[in-house]
Amino acid sequence: MTARFLRLLAGLLALTCARAEDHVSWEMTPPVAGPGQPFKLQVRIESDVILGPADRVGRELKPPKGMALRFSGQLFRANTTEATLNFSGVAPEEEGPHVIPAFNIRFPAKLIKVPEMTVNVSAATGFRREGQARAELLLPVRTYYVGERIPGAILLKGSEQEVVTGSFGLECEAEGFTFQQTGARNEELPNGQGLQTGIELTPLRTGTSEIVLNGIMLVNNGGFGGFAASGRDRPFTFRRKVTVEHVPEVGRPVEWTGAIGRFLAESVSVSNTKPEVGEPIRLRAILAGEGNLDRILPPELGSSETWDVVPGNDRRFRRAEDQRSFTYTLVPRLPGKHLTPAIRFAVFDPETRSFQRLEFAPQEVTVTGNAPAKVELVSIDPGAAAGTPAAQSLTGLATPDPAHRGLLDPGAKTVTPLAASRPFWTTNLTVLTLSLALFAAAAGSAYLLAHPEILRRARARREVRASRRAAAAAADDAAFATACVRGLRAGCAPWLDAEPAALTQGDIRRVLPAADAAALDRVFRRADGDKFGTPTDAALREEKAALLTLLTTLEARL
Amino acid sequence: MKTFWLLLAGLLAAPLPAAEPDAGETAYAAGDYVGAIERWQAQVRAEGATAGRLAALGNAEWKLGRKGRAMLCWERALLLDPRDRVATAGIRHAQSAGGVERPALTWAENYAAFLGADIWLLLATASFWVFVLGLLVPRLRRQAPAEWLEKAVVTGATLFLLSLPGIWGGHLYAGRAVVRQTEVSLRLTPTARGEPIAGVAEGDVVRTERPFNGYIRVTTAEGKSGWLQARELESLWGGGLPANLDAKPAP
Repeated sequence: MTARFLRLLAGLLALTCARAEDHVSWEMTPPVAGPGQPFKLQVRIESDVILGPADRVGRELKPPKGMALRFSGQLFRANTTEATLNFSGVAPEEEGPHVIPAFNIRFPAKLIKVPEMTVNVSAATGFRREGQARAELLLPVRTYYVGERIPGAILLKGSEQEVVTGSFGLECEAEGFTFQQTGARNEELPNGQGLQTGIELTPLRTGTSEIVLNGIMLVNNGGFGGFAASGRDRPFTFRRKVTVEHVPEVGRPVEWTGAIGRFLAESVSVSNTKPEVGEPIRLRAILAGEGNLDRILPPELGSSETWDVVPGNDRRFRRAEDQRSFTYTLVPRLPGKHLTPAIRFAVFDPETRSFQRLEFAPQEVTVTGNAPAKVELVSIDPGAAAGTPAAQSLTGLATPDPAHRGLLDPGAKTVTPLAASRPFWTTNLTVLTLSLALFAAAAGSAYLLAHPEILRRARARREVRASRRAAAAAADDAAFATACVRGLRAGCAPWLDAEPAALTQGDIRRVLPAADAAALDRVFRRADGDKFGTPTDAALREEKAALLTLLTTLEARL
Repeated sequence: MKTFWLLLAGLLAAPLPAAEPDAGETAYAAGDYVGAIERWQAQVRAEGATAGRLAALGNAEWKLGRKGRAMLCWERALLLDPRDRVATAGIRHAQSAGGVERPALTWAENYAAFLGADIWLLLATASFWVFVLGLLVPRLRRQAPAEWLEKAVVTGATLFLLSLPGIWGGHLYAGRAVVRQTEVSLRLTPTARGEPIAGVAEGDVVRTERPFNGYIRVTTAEGKSGWLQARELESLWGGGLPANLDAKPAP
């Protein structure tokens, strides 16, 4: 028992010791430096204890001969077991591997040993210490062919003095070409001293033309990441005369369908290797490689006694994977072991100016069932379960019946919806407007019939207005008095629900209590007495204005 | 009298004489699809497009491998008669065996397909007028509405409300178009330099949205939205026979 306990304890102790091992890793940017090129070194430490900040890191650091190396900062978080230390250096002038010896880093909790690190120096990195930033165009120098995809790139190379930090405004003027950028814009060059942008050109017609590429790169003077560095734009232009031809007709295979480039028959597969007679299966071929994948016409597969072939349903083009797939639906006509038709391609290689042939190998398929007397292209709905009514009823194309007409199928020249018919809407709107107008008129007349006083007042108002105008224009007292009295009677009649001619000055005063009684007496006496030769009343002339105002007030009350 | 009834029964029991196949049907049955198309097209030009003629044309076009024209004929036949047997079978065949993709019908489009867009609109119009006149006429006559008139008003209002989804579904269905060109790329932006985001095959049906710069924004059956050139599509509504895309436009 004791021995077993001790063994368990020893095992646990061993596990603990194993976990206590510190892990140190490092990374250099760029991975290979040019002679004299500045580089960055990052050391990452993972430990089993909380590390905290490192102390006096650079003391034990002893770089090899010719290399400058100094501690530039550290990254740590409180209460974590990880730390990252950054070093900046300049590679030696001498090419080859240079070993930084192992050294210790002192943390508050423990001392950690960093193993030796190797810095590789090579002149092949393209590092330039001096010189202006420059742009280079990478484009194959040869005859181009109509429809091919020409990949290229623009390299923006900097130096230690002039660092390229970006670019913008890339334009292409090339008559008879399509142009597009590919991949990520401003991708870093492998040596870390510049950027690159991928481009793609496609010639559309033959002849000699000039490709002009313009753009602007952003250049910083003053080294890497200097705060005092000043930036400026620097334009660049490339002009290149190119010749475009058609793919040669001599030696062009019959099966060539526009493929230009270097391709590979990646894979071919069938969806079902044991179908029944009449059961459609899919044959899928994947073409991979570099070239105009998106412009290739799918190769034709003809039907045979063994297979019915439905035209290829090709739609998958993956630029990122440089792949394209071609899918065909095959329907077996006869039972037995058969090979699918071979898919044959011909590809024109613009580099070697020669045609190559590709073939997707036929696949073996075992067809079960019996050979019917006549096999339709598709005999069942593939989506329906076997034996169901749907599977039995859907038998490909139905027999045409041109005499058939749908409900309200007039046989017009064009299939146009009724909703688009202007006369339909115009007629409906007109009838609706007329109906609403008729309804409004009927409702209005009914209201007036229910309220006759409205019409009486309107009539009285018109008569008062006419009398007031006649009174104002009257040449003598008699005419004035007659018009005035007619207006007063007409205006007061609706209020008293009486005939106007029957009203006396007393009735008028009931409607207009504020009216001057003496003036009313005088004007009524003058109007009625005129029939009997009443002499002119001088006072009436002075009250003309007041009586006209009375008529105006009466008109306003109506 | 007995003799009369016996004669009538005999007439009813006798099979109706089968219609003589026309020249197009004869050519189609003989495998002369080009001839069948020519004859049916002539019929359409002379007597107008019916569901049966368009569906028959779709079959013949499909047999010649012209998927875009075939799908357009079948879809137009279904607009005229949503239950056309030949067009329905053709579209199912194209989807299952020909790889043609077609957006699934929404519930409103399924509802509209029950009667067809025009019949829904006529039903809505008729029920609307029954409703409106049923309300207005008694008021104009200043009489209390009769019981049958009240029932007619309620029936009209119900039918009008029931026909609204049908009209909406017909409107949605009318926004479809068929891709007529092969090797078509769905573009991210409506420009010649627009990035291709997916491939669309001839005969595929897409839902169309707004036009811009000679392009039309579409949504494919897979739900991808992008732009196609207007000349690469042909709308379901507004045409009879499929347009001849090879012909140059009139100056």
